[in-house]
Amino acid sequence: MQRHRQAKWDETESDGHEPLLAEKDLTRHEPSDTYLPDDLTRDGVELPSISEPELVRHYTRLSQMNYGIDSGPYPLGSCTMKYNPKFTEDIAGQPAAAVHPDRDPELAQGTLQVYHELQDYLSRIGGMSAVTLQPPAGAAGELTGILVAKAYHEHNDEGDQREEILVPASAHGTNFASAAMAGYDIVELPADDDGRVDLDALSEAVGDSTAALMLTNPNTLGLFERDIEEIATIVHDAGGLLYYDGANLNALLGRARPGDMGFDVMHFNVHKTFATPHGGGGPGAGPIGVREGLEKFLPSPQVRVDGDEYTLVEPAESIGKVHGSMGNWLVLLKTHAYISRLGDEGLVDTSAKAVLNANYLAERIDLEVPFGPFHHEFVASAGETDAADFAKAMLDNGVHPPTTKWPEIVDEALMTEPTEAESKRSLERLAAAFNAVSEADDDAIAAAPRMTAAKRIDQTTAARDPKLSWQQLSD
Amino acid sequence: MNQTHPTRETDLSFDESDAAQAESGSPFTPHDAEDVTEMLAAIGADDVEELFDVPEPVRYDGSFGIEGRSERAVRRRLDRTLDANADVVEFLGRGHYSHYVPSVVDSLSLRSEFITSYTQYQPEVSQGFLQVLFEFQSLVTELTGMDVANCSMYDAATALGEAATLADRVRAADGSTILVPDYLRAERRAVLENYADGPGLEIREFPTANGMVDPDALESALGEDVLLVYVENPTTDGVIEEHLDEIGSILEDRETLFCLGSDLLALSLLQNPADVGADVVVGNAGVLGLPNVYGMGIGLFACREEFLRQVPGRLVGASEDADGDRTYTLTLQTREQHIRRERATSNICSNQAWVALRTAIHAAYLGPEGLTALADRCTRLPARLAAELDAIPGVSAPANDAYHFREFTAEIDGDAEAVVSELADRGFAVHRRGDDAIQVCVTETNEEHAAELLETVREVMA
Amino acid sequence: MDYEIPTDRRYAESHEWVLATDEEGVLRVGITDFAQDELGDIVFAELPREGETFDRGDQFAVVESIKAVSDIYLPVSGTIEAVNDAVTDRPELINEDPHGDGWLVEISTDEDVEDVDSLLTAAEYEDQI
Repeated sequence: MQRHRQAKWDETESDGHEPLLAEKDLTRHEPSDTYLPDDLTRDGVELPSISEPELVRHYTRLSQMNYGIDSGPYPLGSCTMKYNPKFTEDIAGQPAAAVHPDRDPELAQGTLQVYHELQDYLSRIGGMSAVTLQPPAGAAGELTGILVAKAYHEHNDEGDQREEILVPASAHGTNFASAAMAGYDIVELPADDDGRVDLDALSEAVGDSTAALMLTNPNTLGLFERDIEEIATIVHDAGGLLYYDGANLNALLGRARPGDMGFDVMHFNVHKTFATPHGGGGPGAGPIGVREGLEKFLPSPQVRVDGDEYTLVEPAESIGKVHGSMGNWLVLLKTHAYISRLGDEGLVDTSAKAVLNANYLAERIDLEVPFGPFHHEFVASAGETDAADFAKAMLDNGVHPPTTKWPEIVDEALMTEPTEAESKRSLERLAAAFNAVSEADDDAIAAAPRMTAAKRIDQTTAARDPKLSWQQLSD
Repeated sequence: MNQTHPTRETDLSFDESDAAQAESGSPFTPHDAEDVTEMLAAIGADDVEELFDVPEPVRYDGSFGIEGRSERAVRRRLDRTLDANADVVEFLGRGHYSHYVPSVVDSLSLRSEFITSYTQYQPEVSQGFLQVLFEFQSLVTELTGMDVANCSMYDAATALGEAATLADRVRAADGSTILVPDYLRAERRAVLENYADGPGLEIREFPTANGMVDPDALESALGEDVLLVYVENPTTDGVIEEHLDEIGSILEDRETLFCLGSDLLALSLLQNPADVGADVVVGNAGVLGLPNVYGMGIGLFACREEFLRQVPGRLVGASEDADGDRTYTLTLQTREQHIRRERATSNICSNQAWVALRTAIHAAYLGPEGLTALADRCTRLPARLAAELDAIPGVSAPANDAYHFREFTAEIDGDAEAVVSELADRGFAVHRRGDDAIQVCVTETNEEHAAELLETVREVMA
Repeated sequence: MDYEIPTDRRYAESHEWVLATDEEGVLRVGITDFAQDELGDIVFAELPREGETFDRGDQFAVVESIKAVSDIYLPVSGTIEAVNDAVTDRPELINEDPHGDGWLVEISTDEDVEDVDSLLTAAEYEDQI
């Protein structure tokens, strides 16, 4: 079994942690001889004053107290933490990529060509008629897609009538939040006994007030919604639209396309499916695709090609904008590079190995894994053990644990997505990490983690008495 | 001896196609054939295809028509594509700015433990990034003077949208109006409109004078229905607002939030938002840490303590671990979508954390003195450039009688479209503002080209 | 698991309790021992303002633990007379003493607790949980 002793830097003088920069040297600076008169300037600022060598050491130490996909397996379900190819950073880092967003399109033809090609790649991969790259994250893509659906219903004079969005109980929290942000009421759909959409409940719920159904396929249990054609018919017959949450698209690359399944609007999570690094929380990008007839509602601008000139165009009934410019350009550039590197064969191989890996891992672990057959992920049950505790114990085994306690349809859920980038050997080490914890006694689990930079963290105090800055630490 | 390397013709052809050396399958899947066989046997399947539980009518054969390429071929192709971006000197700003990003920013932020990590859902193994974000929040807290700052929004425009919905949640004012200045960039306003759409807020404009707020005009535009007033300092026209104290006084006793838009560099020198009565500060933090990368940035969001439970996005807090050592963790997560779902303060999940890391490194590199000195420079450069442009016949600069930060507008005699186009042909990009004005942005990254710009404007105007 | 279920008050199926106070027509409201145990460590309580009025069954407060948010419903109609500020400052009081110092609000009401059919006696509530 693999083990991992994470680095920990600390100083006995500072409560056992790597000091904050502000604790190393906090300097108050009051500007003098400013060009501006005093009444337009502040009194001063108090910030760390650190030399370059000290700065480099500080951040290097912090990086050593952080686990990344380059450190080991990171099987967070529905997060698709796969290997991030290094060459994409070199492409994103080149000076020609650094251009101002207000350049006249004539002066930004290279950037616009990348946008146009990526719009095209994603349209093909999603089976969609048109794609916008503007949403800066998956959740922003959801909001954009729902605003497009809203514009469509308003265009048909049904805006006031269609005030509900249907969301399965096991959907990502963002689906509920995005639909609510767009002003919709949420109708939650229960799952049937085999973990998929309950068609009777769906038929019951849809109607004249339905704006859309948001669906993740494969769903968060890793199950393909086999009745997708019937689902599409039910929703469409009621006059609603079908929205595809692209979080789990990695499972289907080249095998099935949302457009062919009857989805009208979809988003892509490029940091999941297309390997752009997640950067500790972002930036991502959440392009959306729409079927024919909905292009005119897309955000402005769209990139078109006219002869060999790339131009910016405002769609006829555009919803407007969802980002101040054109989204997270560098992330989109890396997406383009990744898709161009893989091509058809690489994309198809990606879903093959993602699904093979998930099924192999599910087979190798000694926990109950209900439902199936699985695609890119599965949800195991930690049984009598609290799933959050189970995860803490896995940390000592050199792996990142899965997503815990969700979806709630499985008791003490461990939602596990190994991705295509783990080798057979790595999956076996990962399975060993699961199995070791499943055999560990309660005391050992309660004492974990023991080899990480921090031991078990007191979340309750953090929330009851929030300390959100160095300024508040001294309060 | 000379017969040991016989020439074979096929080895000597040069493959100039981009597709050279593409592998079959993905280069990022580690399995060999034996692995696959053993894994399938363990699963009890004959073929990987069997594992896909996808009904026949919706199956797809995988032919997207996208050709895979070698790493080198992809790089060559994208290098060539991006070379089509014209080689012009940018004097462009309007909310997106270029400052010199020191090498330590790339070097440290690209450390793979940082960039290949996910959101810190397991804090015990993610202390490094959590401390980075805690230090970022602290930086924003100091520069805005606000009590709390989150660890990022997508950009300045979406941060403004979030401020509007926050005002709707925390203010009991009867109405639903968001009051914005007439100088607000159309793009920011368009984003704001979309955030306002769901909660049914109305965006209304108030007139400004000389590029800044006219307190009387603001006061007469106010009503009981106004939830939030948005003001920028500096504005995207480069004007430094001179009436912040008065605006603060006007809004002080009302059920109306005072939202100030700015950026982290300007905040190091200009009036402290807390001192002028701001309730929420939004804006662009990416002026530190990122060059101009087609509008990709990072939104900053800070506010008063009383709105803490309504803040959108992630927050990092300090706590202790089982050994009693100080540690950091994501906190107050019940505000967020993965717990509160449709009643969350926002749908935001992925944010701009890695950019926050870069911003924090850049700010630490400059330090308080360096930040303030650079900001001071950003007030001198536009003044000097405007004065020199003003000396050119047919140019009147700056158009607003005000102090400026990085940029200013200039009125020109003649067709602005033609002038901007002519300048572009000669290698300089400036903003066109309407029919008879341009906007010019100058920082330490383009000032060495200022003399050439002046000479070129002189030629174009002549 | 044994939960404290005082017999001096009535209970709602949604795990709130109501208790008569010394003042005529004023009731004290809180959540039960069972409810606080289900929630785990409570980190935040959002209480209504004095003077707000609610109908029976309305949500009037929110109680949060680290990973969950729970709506609290008013078992009888009424107007908020007093809010327990101690709980706002120290939400752990709800965990420590749910039926005592961890009370949430006091309401004035026209309703007579004895007449509200939906309210359970301690014995009936114990059967429910």
